[in-house]
Amino acid sequence: MIKIEGLHILFDTFKIIDLNIQIEEGEFHFLLGPTGSGKTLILESIMGLRKPRTGRIWIADREVQSLPPERRGISYVPQDLALFPHLNVKENILFGIKARDLDMKTYEEHVYTLVEVMRIDHLLERYPAHLSGGEKKRVALLRALAPKPKLLLLDEPLSGLDLSIKIDIQHLLKNLHSAFHTTTLCVTHDFEEAHSLAHGMTIFIDGKVEQVGKRDDVFLRPKSKKVAQFLGAKNIYRAKVLKNEESSQRLILGVNGLLFSIPISSYQDKIEVGKEVDLFIRPEEVMILREDKPVKDSLKRNVFEGEVLDMTDKERYHLVYFQTTEGRIPFEISIPNYTFRNLNLSIGNKVRIALREESLWMMS
Amino acid sequence: MEDDEEMNFRYTMIGAAVCIFIFYLGLILSLFYFVGGKGFWDALSHPNTLFSIRMSLIAATIATFFAVIIGLPSAYALSRFKFFGKEILDTFLEIPMIISPIALGAAFLVFFNTPLGELIQNKGIFFVFEVPGIILAQFATIAGLATRLMKASLDEISPRYEAVARSLGSSPWQAFYRVTLPLSFRGLLASVILAWAKAFGEFGATVTLAGAMPRKTETMPIAIFTALASANIEKAIVLILILVGFGLLTLYGVRLTGKRYRYD
Repeated sequence: MIKIEGLHILFDTFKIIDLNIQIEEGEFHFLLGPTGSGKTLILESIMGLRKPRTGRIWIADREVQSLPPERRGISYVPQDLALFPHLNVKENILFGIKARDLDMKTYEEHVYTLVEVMRIDHLLERYPAHLSGGEKKRVALLRALAPKPKLLLLDEPLSGLDLSIKIDIQHLLKNLHSAFHTTTLCVTHDFEEAHSLAHGMTIFIDGKVEQVGKRDDVFLRPKSKKVAQFLGAKNIYRAKVLKNEESSQRLILGVNGLLFSIPISSYQDKIEVGKEVDLFIRPEEVMILREDKPVKDSLKRNVFEGEVLDMTDKERYHLVYFQTTEGRIPFEISIPNYTFRNLNLSIGNKVRIALREESLWMMS
Repeated sequence: MEDDEEMNFRYTMIGAAVCIFIFYLGLILSLFYFVGGKGFWDALSHPNTLFSIRMSLIAATIATFFAVIIGLPSAYALSRFKFFGKEILDTFLEIPMIISPIALGAAFLVFFNTPLGELIQNKGIFFVFEVPGIILAQFATIAGLATRLMKASLDEISPRYEAVARSLGSSPWQAFYRVTLPLSFRGLLASVILAWAKAFGEFGATVTLAGAMPRKTETMPIAIFTALASANIEKAIVLILILVGFGLLTLYGVRLTGKRYRYD
């Protein structure tokens, strides 16, 4: 397990206060924060390149904050990769094993497997200057994984890549992780990157941890409007708790005169009637109903009529901009392409949308 | 119309560059007006001339050696670390570049007349009017420059390489000689060559501290000066041509190091 406790970093204009992160053995953990929030600084502190003001770090149950970087058992893939330009791919890959004076024989098979998985056996003699962007990423990952690190640190691993290569590397990261279970901490500002890979995540905004949790907990149930907005949430509404229906175990919320129903069981704290809250639903969780099909029970409580205002083709999905007739509440709705085609929508269409109760989330 | 203007602009700028070239080339070529007389060949083979060439080569090389020994770690510190007084230190490196070499040499003479200076001379090495004085004067002139140039070469290498090397198990020393040193090698070599050339041509500080004694402390620039002072034009020209030859060689050397292969 990796544990970072009470990390304080003051550097130039950066101020990171009381950072706590906990990563389970074999977990792929994301540290998500806006650009310029000091994420690289945190990585450098974990690695030991920078001395934090205070804080303790455990890697695999060993306290490491007084150890130099070379003795922490961490591998690091920086954003610019920093492949050693004077060494060829093979020498780059073996750098960590040689630097640690590890026995080449015991690592040979591991390295060979990695080379196979990464499909770079034809590149071994080449120099980094003669590699493509995707190939460089592979080599950098391989170099990091070769000495079997206890913790792998990735700094924005998918930034600056063309979409097709990005998807490729995303798959690769997933495969590598399921094959080797290397405990990984990845920093990024891109929540979409995080979504496809993360088990757990820490949301870090303005020098403070805003939320820690499993991926879906954070994505579907952000703790605050700040987190929701950072995660790219579009559908956030100021709402008022109108009623606590004991009989159905539901809370009834009002937004511009429209009533929303959410199950009370999702919330541990008692919610007071009359309280102002933020109500949130992800664009993927909003459904446009087909009038020829019956509405499922789980959807029945939150069905609203309205009009399609606009639509955009986002290559992998479509965005539909919708507004309710009553209350004029705008919704951004993300629809997979095949569903979009079946719906046969056009601007100005009157349609009904339905919201899954469990996907509606209330933030106080 | 616009094309004409662009051509004019282009030719004006290039013309200026050609003028500078002709200016220096003419200066060098004019030396050959006196080449070939009997005095010329005598001067070339004179033991004093050969001595001053050898002295210059040896002294400049030793001075450069010391400048690198102290300058490379200093350059690294200035390039990579933040520490108290860094700005002041950095500014001080320029001192030998802004004060007149003769003032630098004079300062040494003064220093060796202080109790500490006398102690060093009496218990250790004699510098004033001795060969070590040449090396010291040259070292003083180039140490700051060498440090600055090497710092610039190290600045070009991203500290990220070292960070990765450290995480992969290298100690700071290993990261330096396995990664940073090979990556900056060409830049460092060019810095060293330039520093050496500067030491090789140094006159003011050397003559002030070490004097101008033939076959003792006479380097080539000093020999040129004394030859001129005694109206021995042929000898002066021989020495100037040799100096120019070495100068061109070093510049060519720097050019060669500049032809780096594309890293990334």
